[in-house]
Amino acid sequence: MIDLIYLTVLLPLIGFAINGLLGPKIKNEKVIGVIGSGAVGISFLISLGIFFELLGKPAAERHFIVNLFQWIKVDYLNIPIGYQVDPLSILMALVVTGVGFVIHVYSIGYMHGDKGFWRFFAYLNLFIFAMMNLILADNFVLLFLGWEGVGLCSYLLIGFWYDRKFENSTTADAAKKAFVVNRIGDFGFLIGMFIIYLTFNSLRFEEVFAQVKLGGIPESTFNMIALFLFIGATGKSAQIPLYVWLPDAMAGPTPVSALIHAATMVTAGVYMVARTSVIYASAPTIMMVVAVVGLLTAIFAASIGLVQNDIKKVLAYSTVSQLGYMFLAMGVGAFTAGIFHVMTHAFFKALLFLAAGSVIHGMHEEQNIQKYGGLKKYMPVTYLTFLTGAIAISGIPPFSGFFSKDEILWYSYANAGFAFWLVGAITAMLTAFYMFRLYSLTFEGEGRFDHHHVHPHESPKVMTVPLIVLAILSVIGGFIGIPEIFSGSGGNQIKNWLDPVFKPANSLLAKHGAHSHFEEILLMAVSVAAAAGAIYFARFVYLKRKDIAESASLKFPGLYRLLFNKYLIDEAYDKAIISPIVKVSDGFLWKFTDVKIIDGLVNKTASLIESFASQIRKMQTGVAQFYAVIMVLGIVIAFFWIMASL
Amino acid sequence: MTFTVHDLISLSPVLLIGVGILATLIIEMLVKESEKILGWFTFVLLLSVAYLSLILLDHTALVFEDKFLTGGRVNIFFFLFSFGAAVVSLLSMEYIKKAGIHFGEYYIMLLSSVLGMMLISGATDFIMIFIGLEQMSVCFYVLAGFNRRNERSLEAALKYFLLGSFATGFLVFGLGLIYGAVGSLSITEIVIGYETLKTSPLFLTGTLLFIIGFSFKIAAVPFHMWVPDVYQGAPTSVTALMSTTGKAAAFSALIIIFSPIIQAAYPSFFTPVISVLAVLSMLYGSIVAISQNDLKRMLAYSSIAHAGYMLIGLAAWNEKGVSGVIFYLVAYTFMNLAAFGLISLIEKRDLRGTEFSDYKGLGFKQPVLAGLMALTMFALSGIPPFAGFFGKYYVFLSAIEAGMTWLAIVGVISSVISVYFYLRLIVVMYFDNSDEIVMVTPSTSAMLGIMISVLLIIIMGVAPGSIINLINSTF
Amino acid sequence: MNLYDIIFYLFAIITIVSATFVVFTKNIVYAAYNLLLTLFGIAGLYVLLGADFIGIVQLIIYVGGILILILFGVMLTNKITDVPIKSGVLQVIPASIGVGMLAGILILIVTNISWRNMELTVPESTIGSLGMLLMNEYILIFELLGMLLLIALIGAANIARK
Repeated sequence: MIDLIYLTVLLPLIGFAINGLLGPKIKNEKVIGVIGSGAVGISFLISLGIFFELLGKPAAERHFIVNLFQWIKVDYLNIPIGYQVDPLSILMALVVTGVGFVIHVYSIGYMHGDKGFWRFFAYLNLFIFAMMNLILADNFVLLFLGWEGVGLCSYLLIGFWYDRKFENSTTADAAKKAFVVNRIGDFGFLIGMFIIYLTFNSLRFEEVFAQVKLGGIPESTFNMIALFLFIGATGKSAQIPLYVWLPDAMAGPTPVSALIHAATMVTAGVYMVARTSVIYASAPTIMMVVAVVGLLTAIFAASIGLVQNDIKKVLAYSTVSQLGYMFLAMGVGAFTAGIFHVMTHAFFKALLFLAAGSVIHGMHEEQNIQKYGGLKKYMPVTYLTFLTGAIAISGIPPFSGFFSKDEILWYSYANAGFAFWLVGAITAMLTAFYMFRLYSLTFEGEGRFDHHHVHPHESPKVMTVPLIVLAILSVIGGFIGIPEIFSGSGGNQIKNWLDPVFKPANSLLAKHGAHSHFEEILLMAVSVAAAAGAIYFARFVYLKRKDIAESASLKFPGLYRLLFNKYLIDEAYDKAIISPIVKVSDGFLWKFTDVKIIDGLVNKTASLIESFASQIRKMQTGVAQFYAVIMVLGIVIAFFWIMASL
Repeated sequence: MTFTVHDLISLSPVLLIGVGILATLIIEMLVKESEKILGWFTFVLLLSVAYLSLILLDHTALVFEDKFLTGGRVNIFFFLFSFGAAVVSLLSMEYIKKAGIHFGEYYIMLLSSVLGMMLISGATDFIMIFIGLEQMSVCFYVLAGFNRRNERSLEAALKYFLLGSFATGFLVFGLGLIYGAVGSLSITEIVIGYETLKTSPLFLTGTLLFIIGFSFKIAAVPFHMWVPDVYQGAPTSVTALMSTTGKAAAFSALIIIFSPIIQAAYPSFFTPVISVLAVLSMLYGSIVAISQNDLKRMLAYSSIAHAGYMLIGLAAWNEKGVSGVIFYLVAYTFMNLAAFGLISLIEKRDLRGTEFSDYKGLGFKQPVLAGLMALTMFALSGIPPFAGFFGKYYVFLSAIEAGMTWLAIVGVISSVISVYFYLRLIVVMYFDNSDEIVMVTPSTSAMLGIMISVLLIIIMGVAPGSIINLINSTF
Repeated sequence: MNLYDIIFYLFAIITIVSATFVVFTKNIVYAAYNLLLTLFGIAGLYVLLGADFIGIVQLIIYVGGILILILFGVMLTNKITDVPIKSGVLQVIPASIGVGMLAGILILIVTNISWRNMELTVPESTIGSLGMLLMNEYILIFELLGMLLLIALIGAANIARK
């Protein structure tokens, strides 16, 4: 069974090929949908089979490498196309193919009637292919290939409705922003990879990690590697300062937001840090950086989420914030908790997005929550499932979000200190608040839409069944990670499962002092109480006393505007980075050397046709002289250098 | 001077192309409407030359009084030139009809320029390099101005000629100084006397001038000024030839001149100069390309940037760097051929239609062409798993091994910038719409040429190892 | 200062002064005539260096052939286009800075190098040995030059095509 792992990668590729090449000819939406979803579904079944096979083996033997063929082989560099099957990668594969399959099915209903139906499924399958490469890779180069591939698909899918307007620009601009910001992160990743190769002479995980364990390499080297890899992660996983692309990525169709920008691709950075946990454990300084960046992103994005009015925007900032949690987990050494949160977050955030999609679908593409209200009687399934998701993300036991979030908060307290816990708990409170603000404004109260023109309706079965599946997972998904204080020693299933992967890293990390059970239960109770209080407060404010919200925004207009405009970060980036580059390119280099001299000439040549003979000579020699002068200056400088260095 | 059979066999690619040029001349003279068959004749001829160069890879021979070398790395260059030119001949067939320059001389010039390139890459004597360079350049000057009714084409030819002669002047001056220092122009003599030469100001100045002369040909900043005008003005198929194999030939000359220097010592005396050229070219090319509105002009600036990346491999100057440069050249050749081939298809009869705005909505009107173009752009911007990525990868790796990590970092930054303008075309093609109708009926020959290039781009991305191994095996 | 030196300086002055005129005169016909003097001066320098063959070839080809061609070209195009042929002076300041610096550097290099000095002997004629070299050691290059000329010819014919 394990040898079949390549099928989980290959099948989506075949799906992509069939839909991409024959899609326009097939035309039948059902056939296209079944091919697209079927490819991912079978991948999921295979992953499941492999998972059970691994489960049947002793913990220490759950590691296999399936080499397909030699990709790059030169004396100094040896990179196979090889897939690694271990607890971490198979868990991720299950999440990606499982949630992916559900979202594929949902898309059959959501994209019904779209002229780009076949294109959509082709892109989605291509995305799954790239993502599987990313998580199953057994070396950095293949991982990077998947890394670039998911970025590419994300770019194609954000701009899927290229002819629609998105805020003040077009979806194409949003797509481009996502791609360019991601490339900045990739630059960090590439440099990190170079340094790894330089240090270890290999780019295969096994060989690199084995050398890390041997030791003898200065910590500064590890710091460099970890830092550059982390820059890559901030790009892909939307962390400060590179998070700006994710909210704009909501320009894409909602299933895309659910699959790529919530459940899978954006967690690639977290996965990468977890995969290289040995390197991070050897670079404690950078671990601290990761934790701080994660924590800041979490609270920063949550505060922006408080005042947004676009249903998908709120969810997008919430995703950024939750990703911050995951990096906080990585930074404080709680690798298992981080991956656990990746999993539960995939369930409930995909659920929330899909439910939001269902709402948008039923409300004729309206996305402003101020124009919703009282929808629970129109769309009961969507309402119930959304509520489940909202409770899960708010961290109310026994829903899945509670277990993973609590684990992260506990480790930040135990490994990093009270301040980390406090900020994390405040973020959890803010999360509960904005989620229930969203929930209340959408489903409860009076309908604020135009009853004559808008007739909300429940979505078809093909969309609601996936919602129900994800809702069930959001409820029970947490039980595999019940904290040991409740389940007894060794009762935390996911911890046992992932332990072999993180053992080397954990053994490198310094042990912290023991904490009592009392502390743990107390902190847990406080954070749950805070979340519950926030939920109550949100419902109170937005259902009973609307004036409070309004007067608050009137009382603190500056703060409100700052939050509403997302701290003006986009504008700041534009002013500080983008426009100077464009200005240098456009204003100086291009206008000076090109427009004035070269283009001026080209334009003039057009008008010169009549007086060709008399003028062309002058123009030509004039300009050629200028070119020659530049060359001579270059030569002179080179000569000066030679004289100086002789 | 004695000739063995082995020598003759080793020389056969060069001999074949020489005979081919004469045969083309005769066909052109004797056959009516010869231009119709000459295209395919040229293609078959170049293809057989390419094939011969590949199978004679291990036939090393030093012929003509040690003036010319064949076999090994030289044959890799032979293959690159002839195969690249074969693709160009495919792209040209319909294009020169469209542009109204359908004459037999076009193919004679094409073949002669390839002969010139081969002479450069196989030279073991500076005089040979010079003759080969002149042969190639004269053909390029004529080809650039081949469309005599188009002012831009004429302007391009004249400018290229004037500045090219200027650069050649410095090159010859450099050769004179080298001769003054060494007393010979043979590379072997330089290798023998290198220990004393390496402190001789005369020799170093001469070599510097030589490098500068070729920096002009590879389009490195600040010797790049001619590139945008000429690439834009010349017929597109000619631009495809100049920007790919022409650049490769110039790089092969640089590799020859550096070979004695590398054998002696590292770091080489010229590493700082090459590094500065590389940095300037990468950044200038990438930044200025952002604000271009004409596709050919954009690719011209991108060509400057790519020259910069390749110079990194020379600056690092180890075997990995050299094989990385050769790999990069092969990758770049086919990426650019595909790009210019597609441009030549979409170009209109009056040779307009190369602006970005002409590509609006192409993704829906011409899905195949747009798809190929998008793939080529991704490859050019260095996104895996296409050829462009591994070109950069090998070159950057060699710089890091040589302890010049900063150079690799500048390279990565510049390639991050460059993604922007390659992507712009894709955005225009797929995320933009216009009502204008693009009537393109791709000819079989041009599509064949483009398909070959794209296939090679993909193969080089999927199996870069076997190709880099082939290149390494020739050292 | 012996006779040899005097003749050398004479030729050198002819070359430099006439070259300056070529650059600065506005009348193209004058420029062409001055170019004749420049090339003649260079031919003289070649002869002084003992390169008799090159000196003669310089006279025949450049002074005899190419210059006549230039003058014809100037006169013919003058009649066709009806435009007074004059060349202006462009980019004076950057050009003179660049050229001045280049000249300075070259002079610096030339004066700083310890040149190999050769005994002054009455040279033998080089024509015979040149011929032997061209037909033996440099045969390939000789042939290739023929090829190069052929291609230049085809290119020129193409430009002249109607």
